[in-house]
Amino acid sequence: MADLESAYPVPAGRADRPGGPPEDWEAPRERWLSTAVRPAFGPRSVLLEVATRLLTPAILTFSVFLLVSGHDRPGGGFAGGLVASMAYVLRYIAGGRHELAAGIPMQPNRLLALGLLLAGGTASAPLLFGRPVLEVVSYTAVLPLFGKVKFASYLLFESGVFLIVVGLVLSVVAALGARMEAEEYEARERGGAWGPEEGGAA
Amino acid sequence: MRAATLEGTPSRPADLLRPARRTGTAPPPGGRCASVLPMMIDVPMLLPAILALHAVVAVPLPPLVRRLGPRAFLLAGVPPAVSAVWALAQAPAIVAGRAATAEVAWAPALGIGLNFRVDALSLAMIVLVSGIGAVIFCYCAAYFHHGERGLGRLAAVLVLFSGAMLGVVTTDNLFALYVFWELTSVTSFLLVGHDDRKEQARRAATQALVTTAGTGLLMLIGFVMLGHAAGDYSISGLVADPPDGGPWLTVALVLVLAGAFGKSAQVPLHFWLPGAMVAPTPVSAYLHAAAMVKGGVYLVARLAPGFADADLWRWLVLGFGLATMLVGGWRALRQDDLKLLLAYGTVSQLGFLVLLGGAGTQVAGVAMIAMLLAHGFFKSALFLTVGIIDHQTGTRSISRLTGLGRRMPVLAVAATLAAASMAGLPPLVGFVGKEAALEAFVPGAAPAPGPEGSAVMLTGLVLGSILTFAYSARFVWGAFADKSTVSERGFRRPSAAFVAAPVALTAVSLGLGLAPALADPLAQGYAHDLPAGHHAYHLSLWHGITLPLLLTGLVIAAGALMFVRRRAVSRLQNRMPRWPDAEYGYHLFVHGVYSVALSVTRRTQSGSLPVYLGIILATMLLLPGARLAAGLITGEIAVPGVQGAFRLWDSPLELLVAAVVVVTTIATVREHRRFPALILLSVLGFGIAGLFVLHGAPDLALTLVLVETLTTIILVFVLRRLPTTFSVRPNGWAKRLTVLLCAAAGTFIALALWLMTAARTDAPISQGYTERADEAGGDNLVNIILADFRALDTLGEIVVLATAAVAVASLVLLNRRNRVVDEPAAEVAVEAEEEARLSAAAEEHADSVAAHAAAEPALGQGQAPARGAGAEAGEAEMTVRGTAAGPEGAGGESRAEAVGGGPGGGEPAEGGPAGGPRPRPADAPGDAADPGPAPPDPGDTPADSADPPPDPRETPADPDDHEGSDDGRP
Repeated sequence: MADLESAYPVPAGRADRPGGPPEDWEAPRERWLSTAVRPAFGPRSVLLEVATRLLTPAILTFSVFLLVSGHDRPGGGFAGGLVASMAYVLRYIAGGRHELAAGIPMQPNRLLALGLLLAGGTASAPLLFGRPVLEVVSYTAVLPLFGKVKFASYLLFESGVFLIVVGLVLSVVAALGARMEAEEYEARERGGAWGPEEGGAA
Repeated sequence: MRAATLEGTPSRPADLLRPARRTGTAPPPGGRCASVLPMMIDVPMLLPAILALHAVVAVPLPPLVRRLGPRAFLLAGVPPAVSAVWALAQAPAIVAGRAATAEVAWAPALGIGLNFRVDALSLAMIVLVSGIGAVIFCYCAAYFHHGERGLGRLAAVLVLFSGAMLGVVTTDNLFALYVFWELTSVTSFLLVGHDDRKEQARRAATQALVTTAGTGLLMLIGFVMLGHAAGDYSISGLVADPPDGGPWLTVALVLVLAGAFGKSAQVPLHFWLPGAMVAPTPVSAYLHAAAMVKGGVYLVARLAPGFADADLWRWLVLGFGLATMLVGGWRALRQDDLKLLLAYGTVSQLGFLVLLGGAGTQVAGVAMIAMLLAHGFFKSALFLTVGIIDHQTGTRSISRLTGLGRRMPVLAVAATLAAASMAGLPPLVGFVGKEAALEAFVPGAAPAPGPEGSAVMLTGLVLGSILTFAYSARFVWGAFADKSTVSERGFRRPSAAFVAAPVALTAVSLGLGLAPALADPLAQGYAHDLPAGHHAYHLSLWHGITLPLLLTGLVIAAGALMFVRRRAVSRLQNRMPRWPDAEYGYHLFVHGVYSVALSVTRRTQSGSLPVYLGIILATMLLLPGARLAAGLITGEIAVPGVQGAFRLWDSPLELLVAAVVVVTTIATVREHRRFPALILLSVLGFGIAGLFVLHGAPDLALTLVLVETLTTIILVFVLRRLPTTFSVRPNGWAKRLTVLLCAAAGTFIALALWLMTAARTDAPISQGYTERADEAGGDNLVNIILADFRALDTLGEIVVLATAAVAVASLVLLNRRNRVVDEPAAEVAVEAEEEARLSAAAEEHADSVAAHAAAEPALGQGQAPARGAGAEAGEAEMTVRGTAAGPEGAGGESRAEAVGGGPGGGEPAEGGPAGGPRPRPADAPGDAADPGPAPPDPGDTPADSADPPPDPRETPADPDDHEGSDDGRP
């Protein structure tokens, strides 16, 4: 895609915004994201791309923090999953669908499947030992650096929730955002005008 | 082991009925059997293990068939062979009246269990299902070619079918019977549709499934009613102690008979059987001659001892059976295709069997067992003969076959004998059975039906037998005779092993005919508790000069005359008015269901979000709202006191947040531009989150803030596809109604919340959660509840989430496979002109496809072409996959339009005026589309569910859709 997209010169100024600054005035000259960037909305923005580049690891780390700290502090698998998917949504907004595709660890459907498997497996594992469904097993260890750390099976369950939430958001984004964007792109390439919708988002 | 099966099998059917004399000592010699049998005598009930063996053998068959080719069918024949051998080892005890039983608990509290009981009737059916099954598996090894498509699946499903059928005829529990019964329907569906690239095969398979499984559902209702009335779901208990009569018993019996008639192809449900002849011939021989279609006969015969005297039973069984016998025989005479001739002959014989099995008298019971065995052996032999003819010569059309009798003498002799058995000629078992059948309806000889009824039945039977004789003769003549008008075809001789199967089956027909005493104990074993006539009846070739013998003479004479004057008969048949085709009725029914479903969908699923919301709100106001109002008026619901407990706020900040919430709410409602409305809406959501924070619920607030953020972003995606402003509604009654409804709903919610929080009567469940949370080792109570106390709820919720994710993706991506550009292909730089050229070409293609579907080919908004056009345009796109930008499919554009229009604005008119022609149910499936723009119907837009799936080409789930939903990853 990279060569193809860069092969198209970005037109200076847009038909629906006459008189404005040229479209690429804030476009970065360096490569900040992992693919040739074609943002979901409007022109490229150096601010957005740099922020995305810097924030994505932090957001993902924060989401894991929410996941593991959920038992004692606000957070948990659901909130963590939402935060993690936010990182991908940000990446999508900044870099477009190819950036999203390059960034996600696996297909959303697989995330969903993995999450269900994890949660269902954790739920049913106690059955194998003749225990009731979803019984929590925990083990507390004292680690040199971290101090007292508790490993409990609900963390696995919460990880399943986490994955499912990420999968849900990604598949919705892929469906509603990326898919439509792809169509718009096709339509633009074919010379069709998109009419008033662009204005609605701008 | 395979060799043992092959060699052992042809002789096995001949052995089948001998153990009655052998008293179960020596099994037929054969490596495997010898090792298994001693164990069987020690362990009386192996049936559950044998059933499991069928499933176990089915699993490795597909890869084995890929490796070994059709020879793997010999392995597939092992389970039926084991089953047959086992059953015959049991035969002496069973015939003596000691049924073999076994029980595997399933759901004992519900009366559902895998209970098995093998008595004389079951034994006779096992002989057919497993004995003939084993022979047919061996035949398959010679019939199929190496590398035939889907052969592994065919083998596996055939074994599964064999197991399911064995379950049907041996189980003693109504529910287990139903489960096995439907398993045979499903496996039959797969077998009939074996050649799934042929539309005819798919259609016939669906038709067979709809008919047999649909009537099977009726039968299930009947079973439940019967079992409920008797308080016992075991068949033997039900028959031994039938529930008292009454209208409900009649209804139950009618429903059960409907299932049996559907399965056994009785008029007017017989149409599926000839249609199912698209299956490979061994499958037809097995399913549609020996085993599956006998299921209905079996059920009728099984229940007859208990219910034959109930209202309607006898008349239904005798009436439908006789009608089927005559219609099937008459239509068999018309057929040119040998297989279809046999199929209609089978229909006729099934009618015969049903009336014998249902008559419920001793002689009829004896005759039923004899005919059951006779039909199984002669009809499967004839089918296998047709299979050989088709396999060697490439045709089975009477008008193109000649001289086969000279060139395949062994086969011709065997088939002629089998046909003679079908025609009821001595000394074959068909004659023995037919004599008994005629005897059963000699007026005055049997306790039922009455003399007039018997006379009518006897006349009908004689007519049916004449037709049977005539089509049997036509079969032999058509298949083997020298015809001067037909040129001879060259073909290779069939191998000896190939011919062995029909020869062996015919040998059994002959053996049983010459020694009917072999089958007699079995028949007596079944019939002994049925009401007897004046004297006992035994199967025999010679009963003296009796009325049945004279009638047989008449049948032979008249049948022979009919065959000799066949040209006159066929002229007569052509001159007869065509009676209404039963298949036509089926199509009418199916189309009726489609059109009712369509009209219901169209009326209830208008596609307008305001209407949906309105209905939901109105229901809420009507049901709980009215109850609340009534409670308030009667004083039943206490209004919490305003003084004392009533606080306006806990902290003044709440007032501030509430003010923000109220102001943004009002502003949202008054906003006419979509984007600002969305922003206001999310501000509203953040305000609510603020309230949570103030109330000390940071978890809730965190989650809500995250959800609000994400929702806003996702809605922005959608909004980009919608007009900037909402459409302005006229100030009419509709607007007033909306305002009124919304205001009432809001009031109701507020009021209900206020009253509910004050209406607590019991201690809240959350008391003690804090201590428990300590015990569980966590400080965050909300999370402990979610992940521990109520984890099962959470599990359910994430399943819903996952389902919703898949559903949303499928809804949006519906009909647009490969919409997202393939990354690898896109990496190749494509010149702009080339791309334009390609897409133009594809557009042409798409256009022509769309035009073919009689839909407007122009692109753009407001077009919603029929689904057929969309799908085919999608295929058109696939042809140009590899270009960065696929052409705009005729169907794709507007679909997104419609879906996007739904959640975003809710103005269906914006989604396009749904120029989309909706499929007419009356159209032939596949090209169901009205030409030109249909009348604008705003309601119809996203209602994809309104599309009927009449065409099997569209129904299978497309794997590409799932691939596509992940947005073209590299």
